[in-house]
Amino acid sequence: MGRYVIRRLLQTVVTFGVVMFLLHYLTTLAIQINGNPVRTFFGDKPVSDSVLAATKAKFNLDDPCLTRVGDPCMGIFQKRMGDWFLRGDFGTNFKQVDVMESILKAIPVTLQLFLIVTIVWILFGITAGTWAALRRGKFIDYFVRIGTTLTVAVPGFLLLLIVQKVVGVLLGNWARDTFGRESVLGIIFQPSYNAKYAWLTLLIPGIVLGVFGIAGITRLSRTSMLENLRSDFVRTAKAKGLKPTRVTIVHTLRNSLIPVVTLIGFSLAEALGGALITEGIYNIPGMGKLAYDAIKTVDTPVIIAVTAISAIIYMLVNLLIDLLYAVLDPRIRYE
Amino acid sequence: MSDANLQVAAATAPKTQKQRGLWSDAFHDLRKRPTVIISSFVILVILLIAFFPGLFNFHDQNVKYCDLGLTRGAPSGQHWFGFDEFGCDYYAQAIYGAGPSIQLAVIVVTVTIIIGGFMGVLAGFYGGWVDAIFSRVVDVFNSIPFLLGAVMLLTMFRDVQVPLIGGRLQAIIPAAITLIIFGWTSTMRLIRASVIESRGLDYVQAARSLGASDMRIMFRHILPNAMAPVVSLIPLSIASMISVEATLSFIGLGVRAPEITWGMMISSGAPYFTSGFPRLLIVPSAFLIATVLSFVLLGDAIRDALDPKLR
Repeated sequence: MGRYVIRRLLQTVVTFGVVMFLLHYLTTLAIQINGNPVRTFFGDKPVSDSVLAATKAKFNLDDPCLTRVGDPCMGIFQKRMGDWFLRGDFGTNFKQVDVMESILKAIPVTLQLFLIVTIVWILFGITAGTWAALRRGKFIDYFVRIGTTLTVAVPGFLLLLIVQKVVGVLLGNWARDTFGRESVLGIIFQPSYNAKYAWLTLLIPGIVLGVFGIAGITRLSRTSMLENLRSDFVRTAKAKGLKPTRVTIVHTLRNSLIPVVTLIGFSLAEALGGALITEGIYNIPGMGKLAYDAIKTVDTPVIIAVTAISAIIYMLVNLLIDLLYAVLDPRIRYE
Repeated sequence: MSDANLQVAAATAPKTQKQRGLWSDAFHDLRKRPTVIISSFVILVILLIAFFPGLFNFHDQNVKYCDLGLTRGAPSGQHWFGFDEFGCDYYAQAIYGAGPSIQLAVIVVTVTIIIGGFMGVLAGFYGGWVDAIFSRVVDVFNSIPFLLGAVMLLTMFRDVQVPLIGGRLQAIIPAAITLIIFGWTSTMRLIRASVIESRGLDYVQAARSLGASDMRIMFRHILPNAMAPVVSLIPLSIASMISVEATLSFIGLGVRAPEITWGMMISSGAPYFTSGFPRLLIVPSAFLIATVLSFVLLGDAIRDALDPKLR
């Protein structure tokens, strides 16, 4: 067990280092191939070499290795890692705004969104999967299976757009006309985020973002329940004469949830990508929106920072789940 | 019927009856399902549209010809879906918009299966440090969320031209390379697991004791048997690649202009949904959903047929 934990930690450290190097290398390669981004600040205007050099120095883009295509620029890498992790400094974007500051401001909003997503997954995903497993082959089972297939088949961004147009605009206009602008329904059905009513306006986009990953969670809870329903310990529990509800909830469901909880962890980390679209379309000032806006202005420092932070979150979640697993499930072999 | 019954039935079946293998069994199972028939038909039509759009251009519309005077014009017998905001024929746009994304999806899935399959077989077969290295590489690529990684790469290299190719390939290849970079890991893991499972089986031992080389065991014996999970993955990955490409096109990073894709049409049509022109969003969405849904349904059906345990 101890050896497993140490090995797992070492693996994470190595992966972490390689991911960071990869992100760094891609950034430098982009500059080496596309040319120095500083040049684009001046558009078509003629610019003197001294001004150009000064601007490059200001954005730390004056290293000569940035002109040699393929050079990994290890010096810049060391400096960048020091800035990122020792000083928590992700630099400034091309508009001179501190990237770390905007990310710190954005994280709570994204967390709020993800809380809603998690609740949706637990409330609808696990319930639907469990219910379908208990009624295997019946109407509700087919209904859940068709439903999960449909959520996979409709691309997330399209669902968001349609919901925004239909619920946010059409239904929302009706609600605002009928109950007034400040009524609860009128606010819930708003087509974009409103900082004054953060939770209410996050509800609809949160539910739709939840639909992105719900299929996997529902199917896993279903198969996991089915497997456990057939197992010996459930048969024993039934044979002992325990109440059916107790057998279902305490003996079957609780054991079936271990893999599902793992998947929820992974799916949350994966949903960081989905948050880009959700927050972009619904104008939610979170991490995804930062990246979404940065795409439009080709503001690579912001995209790199958001990707790096998402990767770090993903690796931490991954590590945590693996370690928890080792504690929770003694059947796992470590070799 | 339970497994035990099946085994009894198989054991007592007369020897004259032809024994069916996994594949033909699965095929017989699939052939009878209505969802499979319908989705295969839709996929066939969509593939025809994607590779031979001219066949479906019934009124000989020039897809590049747009007349601003006809902006958002109503549908008519000649122009089934009317016109878009620039006065281009919307039916022709929808038909010609199928090609780039579907060709991209096919390219991406083919290459990921070749790369992922090759690495998966090596890692699964040799185990040890080969496996350790491949698994760490997979970890690295998995640590970057798929969509964010694709967005990052495509933004950084958005103006880069790939040398030596032109026309449509030039528009498709940057997005294709990006999706391959972040997509090969899932195939690799699947094949690896499946190879590890069959590595210790009797037929591998038999082949080895007959003096077969590692290469022969890997690619002639293990790989064909490890392919089953991948086959159902093909339609499912095509579906997810089409949907990812549409997402990227929607934020302006997928297939490059002047090619048209459904994602771009959705992006430019969406603002008019609530201002009296809902068809500008509905038409490309319907094409996209029908395509993705058909591939998902077919993939699900194949998976069920090849692995009845999951049902």
